Amino acid sequence: MNQDPFEGRSVIQFSDERDRRAFLKYAALVGVGGSLAAALPMTKVLAATSPSPSPSGSPSPSGSPSPSGSPSPSGSPSGSSQFGAGDVGILNYALTLEYLEAEFYQKGLAANILGDDAKYITPIAAHEAAHVTALTATLTKLGATPVTKPTFVFPPTTFTDKATFVKAAVTFEETGVKAYHGQVPLIKDGAILGAAASIAGVESRHAAVLNYLAQMPPVPNPVEQHATMDETVTAIKPFLGA
Amino acid sequence: MLNSIWNRRSFLGRTAIGAGAVIGGSTAIELLSTTRVWAAAEGSDGDILNFALTLEYLEATFYERGNATSLITDSREKDIFATIQKDEEAHVQALTDTLTKLGVAPVAKPTITFPAATFATRESYLKLAMVFENTGVGAYLGQAGSITNKDILQAAAGIFGIEARHAALIGVISGATPEGGIYKGATETPIAKADVLAAVMPFLGGMPNTGFAPSQQSLNLLPTGLAIAGAAAAVVAFRTRGSRKPQQ
Repeated sequence: MNQDPFEGRSVIQFSDERDRRAFLKYAALVGVGGSLAAALPMTKVLAATSPSPSPSGSPSPSGSPSPSGSPSPSGSPSGSSQFGAGDVGILNYALTLEYLEAEFYQKGLAANILGDDAKYITPIAAHEAAHVTALTATLTKLGATPVTKPTFVFPPTTFTDKATFVKAAVTFEETGVKAYHGQVPLIKDGAILGAAASIAGVESRHAAVLNYLAQMPPVPNPVEQHATMDETVTAIKPFLGA
Repeated sequence: MLNSIWNRRSFLGRTAIGAGAVIGGSTAIELLSTTRVWAAAEGSDGDILNFALTLEYLEATFYERGNATSLITDSREKDIFATIQKDEEAHVQALTDTLTKLGVAPVAKPTITFPAATFATRESYLKLAMVFENTGVGAYLGQAGSITNKDILQAAAGIFGIEARHAALIGVISGATPEGGIYKGATETPIAKADVLAAVMPFLGGMPNTGFAPSQQSLNLLPTGLAIAGAAAAVVAFRTRGSRKPQQ
């Protein structure tokens, strides 16, 4: 995350004390590079290591010529994070980020500070809300429990000034793009991969438009960058409620 | 993270595009040691990369020609178009290098022709740019479920996202309607390979070396004197099939 539009103040408060503690514990461990295995206790999210959805039609992981030992030495995020194992964990991770984005835009539009730019941002707000719905439905369909929506607390200036808001939006979108791309090679089910990719592309559109509105380079790289779960969690840690 | 094709290399920086954009050595070795015959397999990763390479050649050439005109005058818009051109050229280079590393012959650059009116006005240029970028987005997404190698998958996804950025930016510059123009809904829509080929075939004169079997070419879709609007309409028509599953 390149900017810190919130000046280190918290934006996220979890609705559930256990969620918050688990998240903070996880973030702290990530921060010091510790083993993630110790930070696993989000039982609510996933004792439901739900049966992997139908392998038919999905690219076979075992048939993939991916090199053995390719998962990073620091530990693959899937299976070791607070969000749970496997594709369900990835979906819950995505859902958490989409919750954050959805509420951010909802409040931004409600503040009525965007002027002409509202026409570009109104559809974005609708997309993020749709992503929340889609991910929740997918998790439910898989027999998993979607993460509960955290309570987000945004600094007061976020919604009083258009420039601050747009800059924060750039940060969230770029974080979201990198987060999705980081999970692409880890998703096992073909249908879930397709769905996640189809969302990621929309986040890329958002990022480009918001950068444009913020007078920033709208395509900073010729390929999208990617971030691990660890990196993403670290990035949003400064925004976590105390 | 996995051995990503491009993230460890200089490809990341805008300054050093070109040489470094190839698949990581250990992965390439692993791939080459498999029994898979890349060139022969129908819908292999190599085939998909060559399909993507053809599209990138088309896009790169399109912007090289369009940006050589004086159709875009605003300095910020010129910057964006220059960036897009560089991106497409980088994609060509990266795909070529990766195919070579895989031991698969990259398709030769096809002969590319554009209708005379393509670069006649700013509007005509922007209109076809929108078509190409959105077709590219759908094309990459349509192949996502078919790519077997995770490194190649991540790299292709990385390009896909950039095509989506381009599509949105050209939409903004065009003054397109936000929803339905700049954005295409809450999710991107995949386009099947055959549909993509049919859409771009009018621009690929002769198809001498594109590597696609004749059966995949819908030659009767080559309208004489194709207008840009026709191509756009064709793409729209393909898109309306809509709810195709990504992995199909």
